[in-house]
Amino acid sequence: MKRRDFFKTAAAGVSIAALGSGKAAGSDKKLSEDRVGVLVDTNACVGCRHCEWACKTAHQLPASDLENFNDSSVFSEYRRMDAGSLTVVNEFENEENKLLPVHVKIQCMHCERPACVSACIVGAFEKREDGAVVWDSGKCIGCRYCMVACPFQIPTYDYDKAIQPMIRKCDFCVERRDNGMLPACVDICPNEALIFGKREELVRIARQKVKRKSDAYINHIYGESEVGGTSWMYISGNDFGKLRMPPLALNPAPGISESIQHGIFAYFVPPVTLYALLGVMMWVTKRRKDEINNNGNGNQDGKEGGK
Amino acid sequence: MKKIFLIIVPFLMISLVIASGSLFGTKIQLPVEKEKTVRQDKKNPKQKIRMPEDHSKQGIKCTTCHEGEYPTKNDPMLRACLRESVLSEFNYVGEGPGEILIDGMSQNYGGVRFSHKVHAQMSAMSTGCTGCHHYNTSVPILKCADCHNKDRMREDVSIPDLKAAFHRQCMNCHKQWSGENGCNTQCHVRKGESKPQKTDKLLSHPPLTEPGKMQWETNYEQGRIVTFFHDEHNKLFKIDCKTCHKQDNCVKCHDKTKQTESGSKYKKSLSEHHKPCISCHNENNCQKCHRDGEISPFNHGKSTGWTLKSYHSKLACAKCHGNQMPYKKLDRNCTNCHKNFRTGFNHRVTGLVLSDTHKDMDCKSCHANQDFSKPPVCSECHDDKSYPSSRPGKK
Amino acid sequence: MIPAPVKHKFLTPGVFVLIIIALNGLVFLALRFIFGIGSVTNLDDVTPWGLWIGVDVAAGVALAAGGFTSAALGHVMHREEYKIIVRPALLTAMLGYTFVAFAVFTDIGRFYYIWHPLIMWNGNSALFEVGICVMIYLTVLYIEFLPLVTERFVGRVNLPDTFAFLNRPIDKTLRYLDSRLSITMFIFIIAGVVLSTLHQSSLGTLMIIAGQKMHPLWQTPILPLLFLLSAIAVGFPMVIFESLIASRSFKMKPEMHVLSRLGGMISPIIGIYLAFKIGDVFIRETFKYILVFDSTSWMFISEMGLMFAAFFLFLSRKITNSPLGLFIASSLVIAGVLLNRINNFIVAYQPYYNPVRYFPSVGEISVTLGCIALLVLAYRAVVMIFPVISREKRDIIKNI
Repeated sequence: MKRRDFFKTAAAGVSIAALGSGKAAGSDKKLSEDRVGVLVDTNACVGCRHCEWACKTAHQLPASDLENFNDSSVFSEYRRMDAGSLTVVNEFENEENKLLPVHVKIQCMHCERPACVSACIVGAFEKREDGAVVWDSGKCIGCRYCMVACPFQIPTYDYDKAIQPMIRKCDFCVERRDNGMLPACVDICPNEALIFGKREELVRIARQKVKRKSDAYINHIYGESEVGGTSWMYISGNDFGKLRMPPLALNPAPGISESIQHGIFAYFVPPVTLYALLGVMMWVTKRRKDEINNNGNGNQDGKEGGK
Repeated sequence: MKKIFLIIVPFLMISLVIASGSLFGTKIQLPVEKEKTVRQDKKNPKQKIRMPEDHSKQGIKCTTCHEGEYPTKNDPMLRACLRESVLSEFNYVGEGPGEILIDGMSQNYGGVRFSHKVHAQMSAMSTGCTGCHHYNTSVPILKCADCHNKDRMREDVSIPDLKAAFHRQCMNCHKQWSGENGCNTQCHVRKGESKPQKTDKLLSHPPLTEPGKMQWETNYEQGRIVTFFHDEHNKLFKIDCKTCHKQDNCVKCHDKTKQTESGSKYKKSLSEHHKPCISCHNENNCQKCHRDGEISPFNHGKSTGWTLKSYHSKLACAKCHGNQMPYKKLDRNCTNCHKNFRTGFNHRVTGLVLSDTHKDMDCKSCHANQDFSKPPVCSECHDDKSYPSSRPGKK
Repeated sequence: MIPAPVKHKFLTPGVFVLIIIALNGLVFLALRFIFGIGSVTNLDDVTPWGLWIGVDVAAGVALAAGGFTSAALGHVMHREEYKIIVRPALLTAMLGYTFVAFAVFTDIGRFYYIWHPLIMWNGNSALFEVGICVMIYLTVLYIEFLPLVTERFVGRVNLPDTFAFLNRPIDKTLRYLDSRLSITMFIFIIAGVVLSTLHQSSLGTLMIIAGQKMHPLWQTPILPLLFLLSAIAVGFPMVIFESLIASRSFKMKPEMHVLSRLGGMISPIIGIYLAFKIGDVFIRETFKYILVFDSTSWMFISEMGLMFAAFFLFLSRKITNSPLGLFIASSLVIAGVLLNRINNFIVAYQPYYNPVRYFPSVGEISVTLGCIALLVLAYRAVVMIFPVISREKRDIIKNI
């Protein structure tokens, strides 16, 4: 229900944008054809949580021994990322087989058209050519607008730090990858439930898998087209709503907002026009007032007003 | 003008052939969706998917593996892995090795001692060899590493890398079995520790005892009882275990996590519930199975009016009825099956040894109209009742 | 009618209460700067924006809209009769925006980087636009206020002995400013109106990017327009509200002849706003969410109810001619817009993963109330120093 309404809203927004400016909103940077992504095959994930450990270790976040991560008691409640973790694995009941629960790793989806990049007041977020969405601590002012904007509710914030609180989210291990390594989670995954590759290729593989094993997968590649597509995508045998993945519309998250922004600021024409209009109005009314004053010999104090 | 004709005609013919081929659904298959050709890994030229030498003998169509019509050495135009669809080699449980030491990457991980035989025996009840050895077209069994790249960072990620391939094989069952997924709990030895010791694990699975008759009570007022003769299906009808036990695994019997009780509470849908039977017995009549009392075991004589005796009772059903399910009623005439019985037929098998006098006679002399279903009556030939007091031969 | 500093006792029992509220707020504010935002607020990763953004910033900006609406009326349209409300409205806007800036300073995690948007630009961001516009507008407001300073102090600069040598240069500067400002003021006045239009609407754009996280009753692409219209609608009621309170507090006669005429203009503006709002509800077929009658729908109903009530009250001559009627009607508009901003920024924000519904903490409420108290105190202090409030000449002489 909500989703359909949103489409309606989106359609209205787009038409407003069309009125506002002919220029396509946003899209500052061209994405590389070879941009990378990760395909998460929840059917292959066994919930060992090694990725959580690897991620913490790779990002210098406090982490206990790897053995402790085999503890599956944490699955008793649904977890989200916090200031100390950039990724989290959750367990869901599998309706097909109670003995084989479904595990779903969550982290930043690295949207193709990221809302955080569009929203950030100082441009601290950047969508890299290779697909990763990264955050620049040197710019961030801690306004948390990215958290408001993110359709997946990913970024987290250090609420307990007064000085230099951090916004945290998966950075797609850009440092490791720049050094020719795989993302830490992909590297450690025992089952390669996280398949790292070119996004295009991953979409093809995902489609193939879903098609060939139609009894094992539902026909939905989560992230292929949600909010305009994401770099991380999911395939699963269970409905994504049951895996608590937000049901999202297909139009890019920053679309309407950017359209409006660009409509209002179409090369500064509307503000300048408004300025000119007000100027003319001021001048006309001033003249009329002066005429009245001159005719009626008014002794109004001329200090205020137009001057 | 003629030249153009010469060019056009072959094209027309080719397209005609393709069109007719696809119309009649025969050999020529046009790929429905063009899937991108899988490129060989350039980083690891050694990691090539080996083409088994006897491909043509296996009767595999080129298009099963190759996308294009003219694959070359440099561009084999391979489709993505086909898994189950390319299997032509089957082995028996006993043929495989007893135990295998998997330590190809022992510099990084502790080795794993894999009891192949037990797993083979267990899989005989479920997926069979093909559950693990999913791609094999020729006699030497392919190594996992032949297809599955050791490197996680590779060009073709359509099939899992070696580490994932191994883990997926093991974990998918073991996780369900014990709920554990740690590295050292089940398989790997810790790094730095000595090589895995030969465990006391069973090297062979104890023989499975099959149930005979099974009975369920339903909630229905009429047709409360359903009886299932497991042994009949297994022994009499010679149905392979994995025909029905497709998805079964260790947990079915060995439940470490003690969850089966809750598992059994899980309500199956009506169609799910009947699926094991319905997949063979395409039956609309509920009362065929749901009875008020126990049904008696299958009896060929009662059900069909043709009692199976001595030799016939030992035969697999398909021997007479063929592989076509459901079985059709057969012509009861012996010659329907025993087409060449005359040469060297030993009348003894019918329970009657013919005497010398009768031995040389033509069959038709006694079995009028070649009707062998009923034993002939003496009076039909011997009207003067001068025939011996006993029988035309020894019993 | 000329503006002059109000002569009145600063400390009254009411002021004492305000000072206590302000001090209480400052204590929590100190905690926030020592132990971080989490120690004082109920904000978390699910609800990153709460009362401080919803009320202190968003509602603060809206309620300071009197500044630009009255400037447009008094200066741009040269409606002389409304001149006397321009200065109080300007002061409200100036103080209001100062506190908005302060609230932003408090709410952002790295307050010491508040200058970053000046050099790090992101044209796609609605927040960037709001930030830059507010920054410039605040500057413009201070410039617009300068004539009051020169008016008050030219020829009267008299610093204590130690700084006496500065008296002449300051006086000279003031005189210079006075001469320059009188020529260029129109630039700033128009800029003020344009900037206000821009950021009042962009404040509405802010929440659009939240997409499906925002309740469909409020999530609409015309949100910027609704924000602008409601800001314009609340401008005059705010001026009326303040004027009435100020005259009550300083024991002066309310300027009913101006306020009544202002009141007469409010209904049409609210009418346009309501028309858009209702049109939006019907075009997007969101009325079904109103009919659910859960807490969210009641918030929407009350928001609309307040505006409707105000709309009808302002239609009546009888109401606009009585100070009490004007006061009540204006309060309704203010409450309606305040509730609208709270709804847009807090109630409507219903994310997918939402284990605990956000409700502001004691600390947040304390800081917000403290800020409002400080603002009122500052207003009181400024009108007692600078010529803001206009009165009849004889009243002024009598007071002196």
